[in-house]
Amino acid sequence: MLRQPLTRAIALSSPSRVAPLGARRYADAVPAQPEKVEVFIDDKPVYVPPGTTVLQAAAQVGVEIPRFCYHERLAVAGNCRMCLVEVEKSPKPVAACAMPVMKGMRVKTDSDLTKKAREGVMEFLLVNHPLDCPICDQGGECDLQDQSMAFGSDKSRFTDIHFSGKRAVEDKDVGPLIKTIMTRCIHCTRCIRFASEVAGVDDFGTTGRGSDMQVGTYVEKMFLSELSGNIIDLCPVGALTSKPYSFAARPWETRRIDSVDVLDPLGSNIVVTTRTNEVLRILPRTNEEINEEWLSDKSRFACDGLKRQRLVTPMLADSRGNLTPVEWEDAIVAAARAIQDCPPDKLLAVAGDLADAESLVALKDLVNRLGSENVYTERDFPLEGSGTDLRSSYLLNTKIANVEDADFVLLIGTNVRFEAPLLNARIRKAFIHKETDVAVIGPKIDLTYDYLHVGDSASVVKDLATGSSSHEVLKRLDAAKRPIVILGADQLKTQEGSALLAYTQELALRLQDKLQDKNWKVLNVLQRSAGAVAALDLGYRPGVATALAAQPRVVFLLGADGGVVTREQLPKDAFVIYQGHHGDVGASIADVVFAGAAYTEKRATYVNAEGRAQQTLPAVSPPGRARDDWKIIRALSEVVGERLPYNNLDEVRDRLGQISPALVSYGEVQDNNYFAQARALSKSLQKPVSGTLDVQLKQLEDFFMTDPISRASPTMAKCVQAVIKQKSSVY
Amino acid sequence: MLSSLRSGVLSTWRTSARALQTSSALQHDSLFVHRDTPEDNPNIPFEFSPANQKRVEALLAIYPEGHKRGAMIPLLDLAQRQNGGWLPISAMHKVAEVLNVPRMRVYEVATFYTMFIRRPIGKYHLQVCTTTPCWLRGSDAILKAIKDATGCEVGGNSACGKFSISEVECLGACVNAPMVQVNDDYYEDLTVDDAKEIVEKLKKDEKPKPGPRSGRFAAEPLGGLTSLTEEPTGPGYGLQDALKS
Amino acid sequence: MTTRQAIQVGTKTVKPLLSLNSVEARKRVLNLYKAWYRQVPHIVKDYDIPKSEEQCREKLKELFLKNKDVTDIRVVDMLVIKGQMELKETVKLWKQKGHIMSYFKPTEEPKPKDFLSKFFSGNE
Repeated sequence: MLRQPLTRAIALSSPSRVAPLGARRYADAVPAQPEKVEVFIDDKPVYVPPGTTVLQAAAQVGVEIPRFCYHERLAVAGNCRMCLVEVEKSPKPVAACAMPVMKGMRVKTDSDLTKKAREGVMEFLLVNHPLDCPICDQGGECDLQDQSMAFGSDKSRFTDIHFSGKRAVEDKDVGPLIKTIMTRCIHCTRCIRFASEVAGVDDFGTTGRGSDMQVGTYVEKMFLSELSGNIIDLCPVGALTSKPYSFAARPWETRRIDSVDVLDPLGSNIVVTTRTNEVLRILPRTNEEINEEWLSDKSRFACDGLKRQRLVTPMLADSRGNLTPVEWEDAIVAAARAIQDCPPDKLLAVAGDLADAESLVALKDLVNRLGSENVYTERDFPLEGSGTDLRSSYLLNTKIANVEDADFVLLIGTNVRFEAPLLNARIRKAFIHKETDVAVIGPKIDLTYDYLHVGDSASVVKDLATGSSSHEVLKRLDAAKRPIVILGADQLKTQEGSALLAYTQELALRLQDKLQDKNWKVLNVLQRSAGAVAALDLGYRPGVATALAAQPRVVFLLGADGGVVTREQLPKDAFVIYQGHHGDVGASIADVVFAGAAYTEKRATYVNAEGRAQQTLPAVSPPGRARDDWKIIRALSEVVGERLPYNNLDEVRDRLGQISPALVSYGEVQDNNYFAQARALSKSLQKPVSGTLDVQLKQLEDFFMTDPISRASPTMAKCVQAVIKQKSSVY
Repeated sequence: MLSSLRSGVLSTWRTSARALQTSSALQHDSLFVHRDTPEDNPNIPFEFSPANQKRVEALLAIYPEGHKRGAMIPLLDLAQRQNGGWLPISAMHKVAEVLNVPRMRVYEVATFYTMFIRRPIGKYHLQVCTTTPCWLRGSDAILKAIKDATGCEVGGNSACGKFSISEVECLGACVNAPMVQVNDDYYEDLTVDDAKEIVEKLKKDEKPKPGPRSGRFAAEPLGGLTSLTEEPTGPGYGLQDALKS
Repeated sequence: MTTRQAIQVGTKTVKPLLSLNSVEARKRVLNLYKAWYRQVPHIVKDYDIPKSEEQCREKLKELFLKNKDVTDIRVVDMLVIKGQMELKETVKLWKQKGHIMSYFKPTEEPKPKDFLSKFFSGNE
């Protein structure tokens, strides 16, 4: 009856709220497990470590205890009282979520007293809860509905409507994402605890007392955070619902398709909810190794950008240079003619942020067959030293879940909070629940936790790497048992990028060599986009600037919307082919436009920043005449006369597997090696650096619109407006 | 509060059983959300006075490092006293700043305790107890007399800005019912005339003598002591002989 | 045994279906054609099809001429047998209007098989 599956409660039932053992390879092997105590849940014996709560012990034997305020990933509040159970020899029923087990405790979760207690609690909750289920967005996925069916009374004693009516609370304006109907609030305080513990934005609280208590912000302030949408999922009733999704659909009308998010480099697991071939909303899907059960606001709410600014038909520039819709045949023939007329060394392919591995491999194979090696990514990365040959130098080697186990985190030139919000949530979790400390080299930014600011110049990294720094952070790093160093990939696009990477490698590997735990990886490079790792894995070369200097005659932009390639840089007669799903920067300079599919419309492989391959599944069909991306390239190859040897997805994936088995081992992530070699190769690159480190996303308003999908999203635009409005507020 | 409840009971018995469901009237006499007003908004600066600044430091020194937020209630009280009996939002912000806690945590405390008053209030805050013992002893008449004398409604301020009246629950002086609290002082065993006199004196900014008005010293019986009339016995009284040394 | 002999043996051992030689087979075909030809006015009337007698005769001729290159007597015989079955079904009104009209349906284009044609036709 509970919305949260029981298995999760079991997985999380260890007293400390850290990732389960499966994801925790580096967790301290708990020395000398304290003796387990035996307790009886409904006369079923179960052995649990001391400190386990009754509710968790019950979950282990498969007994679900109803709850509203209790949540596995938040602190225990114990204020809803729904989890009351009878404990033998206890005079009163006890709250299972807050009661630690004691030896020989006999818990009765199905006794008359327990049932009566639940019924009573439910009755009190319903006295002050409006009976507006028919117009409530939570209807059908409401814990209160479900639990009142299962545990509530069959009749009402509420006759008080003439005297004082039901409690009514005024609604709050907490921003463009969350709709509040505070009368429905049952004061579980999950949103308050989430805001305070996970999001790190202490804006929610309870004001007043007794029956006048309200959950809210007291002053007129919006709840603006990069993780704010999660409180919608947390709210057990309809008090906090999604504003963009309001009155859109009921849960039973929709189809749910498991997929993967591509709007940040972490590849959070998502569920895409669709109806009538339309994406309605996106919800997080639990994956302990990546996103736990959270999702960033951009990933969750940018889905309305999938319906706007879309390229729905192939287009060809007419004689006056205006793009006009044409048939696929015409568009492909036009592009093929241009490619055939072009000498191979003047052909250039550029892959953008959201390109999937299948289309990347198809494009690379095509360009190579035509005799060109000019396949580039929009994002820069130094090619000197080991360059992109060794996977360890461009991945998040520590892995996301293991970040929790780190005891010192050094962030170099990255604003993790907005570049990878859920990685930041992990760091914050380690900061709060463990004694993890954080140091930052780069601009001073709000990361939602305290950190040691070491400076913003690149030479600080050099001093740390060579050990010549006198800063205390060096001592802290040397003393740390599990340090991690995270370098933002944005820093690598400058001239000094290679030196910076070399110094970071030097620093990280010097630390790594000294560690007792030989499996612990220190070096991390945080990529900025979902397509970056797959492109580098496939052999795309970073740094399109040099290729542009060679004056290419035909440019194939595969979703390249970063604005790196502009018309001014190209020769006048250059022919630009754009393939993508949004009419954004890339399409505006194109001579031929191929309409591709967005991530919710195709079965495609994406590799996240850790190097974990995951696949999206088609939730809806591509709009209009848009097609799967790799198929467009496959069709083009045949017209060009260099037919690619694959006709279906399995064959493309076989090809991917030939290049790297890691690209098709879905859901798994491999350990990276060859750190020492990368370090040796980078030795020669350790030149003096003088620049300052700056990050692109500094403020919350920078976070919302970073890619073609979120730029097309009205909700994201509203978010930016809200943040700017909030800035002028005195609160 | 109780009187408004009673009038509610009477009127609702008469309403039709088919009356439409309505939302409850505001139950509390203060709001639990903040509304910016000219008198109370975050743009009005608040600083502790130099004398109070010393008190702040003394208060903070009581609490160990890492638990400084324990000083929240004393600091809020200090701010309220400095600000003439009420707590403006900028004072809450100041306390949050001093304690280095999120502002919301201060709002939570300030709204929870009824002795923190979050609206501008008169110089004299008259808190009339209307809980059962005082009510039985005629607190309704006292309340009416005070309302008439000050020209002020419950939960409001008088036109002159000097008085505010609140109906409060039991203040723990039931033996001396009916009673009124004015700022920090209790005035007990009141009659209607006493109440009027107190208000008149306050109007002239004279301080009426606090305590019972019936001539009693404290909570002893009105007609003189009925027990404990003799001298208290000394130590060793009633001890058996064997234990006497 | 030479090849020629082998073929002779093969043809000798084949059992004739109806006709013993091509002349006989031709006679059977013409008879069937005539029978259909005479039936055409009745078909148009009985089945109430939106076609004129001329159009039906044209279609009849077209369908017969479609097999004009068949030389194997046994195949010709089998086609004649099938034609007679069709005719009987038509005469006895065992067919319905749609069955008659299906003689007139336009030729179906074969579905594209290779990737590129599938892509251009929107099937891929």
